[in-house]
Amino acid sequence: MLVLTRKGGEAIRIGDSIKILMLDVRGTQVKIGIEAPEDVAVYREELFSVVEAENASAASSGSDSNANLSALWDVLHKEEEM
Amino acid sequence: MERFTDGNEGSEPRIIRMKRGILGFERLTQFVFQPQEETAPFRQMRAIEDGTTFVVIDPFIVKPDYQPVIPDKDVRLLEIEDASDVIVMNIVTIHRIPLGATINLRAPLIVNTKSGLAVQVVLEDDTYPLRFPLGKKNQTTIEP
Repeated sequence: MLVLTRKGGEAIRIGDSIKILMLDVRGTQVKIGIEAPEDVAVYREELFSVVEAENASAASSGSDSNANLSALWDVLHKEEEM
Repeated sequence: MERFTDGNEGSEPRIIRMKRGILGFERLTQFVFQPQEETAPFRQMRAIEDGTTFVVIDPFIVKPDYQPVIPDKDVRLLEIEDASDVIVMNIVTIHRIPLGATINLRAPLIVNTKSGLAVQVVLEDDTYPLRFPLGKKNQTTIEP
């Protein structure tokens, strides 16, 4: 990992289109400003990692049969009526 | 072209191109929708690159008052010109034990049916959970 030390008000460039500004440093908190192109999504790590994990849980190799899926819907809605 | 449901405007395309990848699956850029007849109301989308498949559902079937806010930058990214061209789909996670399913309301897929472009949007506010149970009996959120 590249490690850089920056002061409040200083910045970092990543490539020619991303700029990260150290807006304010107070105690244990750093306020950061990010300038990035619209197709670059910026997320808090905690949120990114839970969504990534949920996507991974949801992904399959495509082996689920269609019959299983319609059966699942029936099961879910039978439970509802009980 | 078929309509998705009354709650979702626009007709869905057969192939979508991810303008920004599904988180963790950025390498998958194009998905083909499998025919829905046998799996309704679920629908499967299969990556052209490697066959990775996601099950999706129209969220309004599950949560009629669902109101995800699409960031302006994603409206531009998807080249959305008319709101009626947009459909929302959410990824379903199937749980084996105990058997059940949850829908990811926090990170919907937004599709411009006109251009076939799509993104997964991670909603900033935490109103909607990652795991909202399918089936109305159990309305408590299952923690991932």
